[in-house]
Amino acid sequence: MKNPPLFLPVAAVLAIGLIIPMVSEARVWTSTDGKKLEAIFESLEGDMIQMKLRNGQSVKFPVSRLIADDLEAAKRFALVGDDAMTMASAKKIDLLLARNLAKSTDIRSFNERLPDDLFVRRIYLDILGRIPTREEFQEFADSAREDKRAILIDELLASPGRASHLFNYFADMYRIKDTGVARELDYSPYSQWWRDSLAANVGYDEMVHQMITAKGNLGHNPAIGFLQRDEGMEFDAFSNFGQVMMGIDISCAQCHDHPFTDWTMEDFYQMAAFFGQTQRSMGSYKGAEGKNVRVGLPGAPEGWLNKFQNYAVKQGGINLEDRNERRQFGWYKTALGLNVVDNKRIDIAIPGQIDELGGQVVSPLTLYGENAKTGGKSRREALSEWMTDPANERFAVNIANRMWERAFGRALVEPVIDFPMDWRKHTGQPEVLEFLGQEMVRTRFDLREFMRILYNTQAYQGISTYDRDVDEGQFYLFQGPVLRRMRAEQAWDSLLTLAYGSKIDEVKGGDGSFMREVLRVDFKKDSMEEVFAKYEAYKKTRNKAQKVLVETASLKAKDPEIPVVDGIKMVRSSNMVQPASAASMLSTFGQSDRMVTDNSNFDGTVPQVLALMNGTVTTRLTGSSSQVVEDLSKFDGPDDMVRGVFFTMLSRYPTENELKKGVDIMETYGEDGIRDLAWALLNTPEFLFIQ
Amino acid sequence: MDFKALAGNTDTSRRQFMEGTAKTALGVSMATTYGAVLGSKNVQAQEAGAAGGKAKSLIYIYNSGGMTHLDTFDPKKNNKKVMGDTETISTNVPGIHYGSHLKKLAEHADKIAVINSMSSTNGAHAQARYQMMTGYNQRATIVHPHIGPWCEKYFGKRGDLLPDSVIVNRGTSNSGYLEPALSPLPVANPTAGIANSQIMTSEDRFKQRMEMSLDMGKSFVEKYQHYSSPRGYIEFYDQASRLLSSDELEVFDLSGEKDRQKYGMNNLGQGCLLARRLVEKGVRVIEVHNGGWDMHNGIQDSLSSRLPPFDQAVAALISDLDQRGLLESTMIVVGTDFGRTSRINDRAGRDHQPAVFSTMFAGGGIAGGQKYGKSDADGRRVGDKKVSVEDFHATIGYGLGIDLGYEIYSPSGRPFVFGNHGKPVTGLFG
Repeated sequence: MKNPPLFLPVAAVLAIGLIIPMVSEARVWTSTDGKKLEAIFESLEGDMIQMKLRNGQSVKFPVSRLIADDLEAAKRFALVGDDAMTMASAKKIDLLLARNLAKSTDIRSFNERLPDDLFVRRIYLDILGRIPTREEFQEFADSAREDKRAILIDELLASPGRASHLFNYFADMYRIKDTGVARELDYSPYSQWWRDSLAANVGYDEMVHQMITAKGNLGHNPAIGFLQRDEGMEFDAFSNFGQVMMGIDISCAQCHDHPFTDWTMEDFYQMAAFFGQTQRSMGSYKGAEGKNVRVGLPGAPEGWLNKFQNYAVKQGGINLEDRNERRQFGWYKTALGLNVVDNKRIDIAIPGQIDELGGQVVSPLTLYGENAKTGGKSRREALSEWMTDPANERFAVNIANRMWERAFGRALVEPVIDFPMDWRKHTGQPEVLEFLGQEMVRTRFDLREFMRILYNTQAYQGISTYDRDVDEGQFYLFQGPVLRRMRAEQAWDSLLTLAYGSKIDEVKGGDGSFMREVLRVDFKKDSMEEVFAKYEAYKKTRNKAQKVLVETASLKAKDPEIPVVDGIKMVRSSNMVQPASAASMLSTFGQSDRMVTDNSNFDGTVPQVLALMNGTVTTRLTGSSSQVVEDLSKFDGPDDMVRGVFFTMLSRYPTENELKKGVDIMETYGEDGIRDLAWALLNTPEFLFIQ
Repeated sequence: MDFKALAGNTDTSRRQFMEGTAKTALGVSMATTYGAVLGSKNVQAQEAGAAGGKAKSLIYIYNSGGMTHLDTFDPKKNNKKVMGDTETISTNVPGIHYGSHLKKLAEHADKIAVINSMSSTNGAHAQARYQMMTGYNQRATIVHPHIGPWCEKYFGKRGDLLPDSVIVNRGTSNSGYLEPALSPLPVANPTAGIANSQIMTSEDRFKQRMEMSLDMGKSFVEKYQHYSSPRGYIEFYDQASRLLSSDELEVFDLSGEKDRQKYGMNNLGQGCLLARRLVEKGVRVIEVHNGGWDMHNGIQDSLSSRLPPFDQAVAALISDLDQRGLLESTMIVVGTDFGRTSRINDRAGRDHQPAVFSTMFAGGGIAGGQKYGKSDADGRRVGDKKVSVEDFHATIGYGLGIDLGYEIYSPSGRPFVFGNHGKPVTGLFG
């Protein structure tokens, strides 16, 4: 068939299906004149839609020829891609899960399907990281479409809230911290690199590649924040690297052979040696022969710093007699010099105090698998290639296992930071994890697409179980997700939604552009005048929370200002300074302090409960200027008011009994009844949980 | 309000369930590790050292930034070169001298034991402070607990409504690798009390709302009745409601205290006063943080602003506890990041000096009127009987009656002991 007619009769579609294998879930598109076409969406440019047919041929036609539902699908797919492979993959996961479930003696099958109202709350919390507004809830509830769950999933995945909430996960995993990291520098450009990469849905393998191979300072390349996170503690840095990127915690072997696994000290230092020629800052390093090597400012001509200092003195920028000014200048130099390069003159040896291996320089060797190919490449490039190679199953499985944990509340193999090398024996669903690893590779580490697959599984869309029902020594088989308490960030973003509505998704926070600009110095090309202007700007704003615009010709960078309402910074967790202030509600609800990987906690405490009872957001929500109360008081009759409060607070219908009680409250207390009921629902444990 | 009906009827089930709550936070795989630790405990220290174990409570005052030892507890009489403008004064114990700013403490020297031979390897604030608070060096792969959570893990929770440990003048706290439920209660401002403890309506309406919330929350809690976490919140609501309507919160209200002025109307003074009130209520460990000790510039000005309130607050605390008969069972400790250089720099300040510095102990079985160890003639290095940060912690543990060989495991299975194998300075005890 060289030139097939664009739309075929249904019978012809089926006939082709028998001959050419294709994803069974490919959408059958319908034209306004009733003809059918089974095809995979490829792109939508202007008015023209392009699709791939079963025979592999691409066709283009005006999108206006599609019926309304298909037109909507085309627009949706333009944002997140066709869903044929997604649905096929979700089905395969369900099939694999079901097989092991059927073999179990007690569970046998998936949990019942979660009712629509609870589903909409869960999916908003899981993808956007906040509860839906009453309007968003009602829009979904009112839709009669059969595929409304899949549609909502796509819409949420395409909205900016997706990256916001995913950022919270990675911020915990990668210990993202804006202050109090190496040399007290402001690391906000690195946080922003994460936000931007996740918003652009950059492949996870590409992000890892950028982090491992990054060069320059925070101004040149914010991805260096990863390598600078533990600057001065290079071996701890390597331990953390192992935990997040390979799911291996080898930190014990830093000082002695690992007591519970086979890792030896030699293993530790051999793999750490991939970073052995990584120079992170100016100063003194060990050289190949154990001699100290002094390293200067990378990329700068000899004596540049002195030249710059002289210039700054001449311009009146520093008074060398003044100790504070000298220190100030020193900080700026240090910040410029936290500049990652590969330096063959250095080679980190095993620390001296460690038994007979002390002082030895070892060559790089990966912990497992075929060693990285170092020929002609820097060690970090070689490591990055090895790490992100599809042949490195563990890398794909590690991130797949974590993403699964995000959706289901438990990982397939645990603990995620240190799962066994023979993980197939340590999970109840080995085939699923294996398949997920393959899907990671197939989707090219597209985390949005990967999550889309998981959210479309029958397993995910069932009611929650409680994992602690599993007896010790047995595996959870994932008949459904587990009941979870909101993350601190979900709790905060949800409270903010209650107080200010969905517009909070649009509010930007500090984005690191100021720090990026003052540190972005081209040592060879920039004139002294240009660099000096940056130093002046840096000097004026150091230690100030709000980076202000400094009026110079060359410097226009400014972080956005965060709106404050009733003394509350109206910004989502992901856009705050990372992590949020220790006195904040986020900290109260267990936000990670980012000192160690995965340090969020989900325990209840009395201060949390006090914050919900009497805190500022609650005051706003139930106070005299509450938008929620104002909106609901316009509703017709107490029944609708009660439903409205339930939709707003818990995103669900009240039971008959609850409705009756609610109506009593409305009738007794009038408008204040709305406040009382809203307060009461906010203070039920149900509010904080994801069913 | 029938919280208990929802949370489990008997005390036993409540206790089991609270243990469950603690375990779940750390994941199933860790439950076994903790299970092992929760087993029988070997409390040898109390029997072994008769002098140790007398302290039932600890008030740990922390001078953040690095307290100069020469101007406080380790003055060098007749060594004008290192002393600058600080004079040496006599105390109520013959032969024991303090810096001239510690006039009030000098009157209590008979109750105070000073260590003049402290030595640390950390010269940067964050790392030094971390070790002084936890007994361990800071690592990027684990977070060690402060003394409070460790004690609660070791001894079990003491109080009902009030927490076992409180951190004053800090907005946050954590429990390190221990269960988050053991985190000390942070009180950012000693005069402001516990955050969010003011109800926003009348008491009656608050009660009505609370009843409504229990009623409306019932279906969810019942649906997940076998699961500890939602029930945990019922428990916390119960505790919070009881706390709000109990007299226990009064401990945080310093307004009616007649001795307020005696402690000094500043965060340290009021923090020490709050600490005394908490000790009276049975709270085990109170950290009182006190900043402003990083005196690189113009140290004499800094000393005249920081030392008198410090002198006043700690002296008031000692005498108050003594008068109330609580000094024998309450250990007061003053710690700091490190000492400061004997050389006064060109900006009339002193820089960091971890090689030797001083700490102070009183009460809880401490034999007062003594100085332990020595710095050298200029206060630059340890002269005699070096005491490491680990030893310092072991000394506190000894006073509290903790078995210093008793191992607690982190979730990753690493064993830790109180004080990181330091040797207690038993000579400080009577």
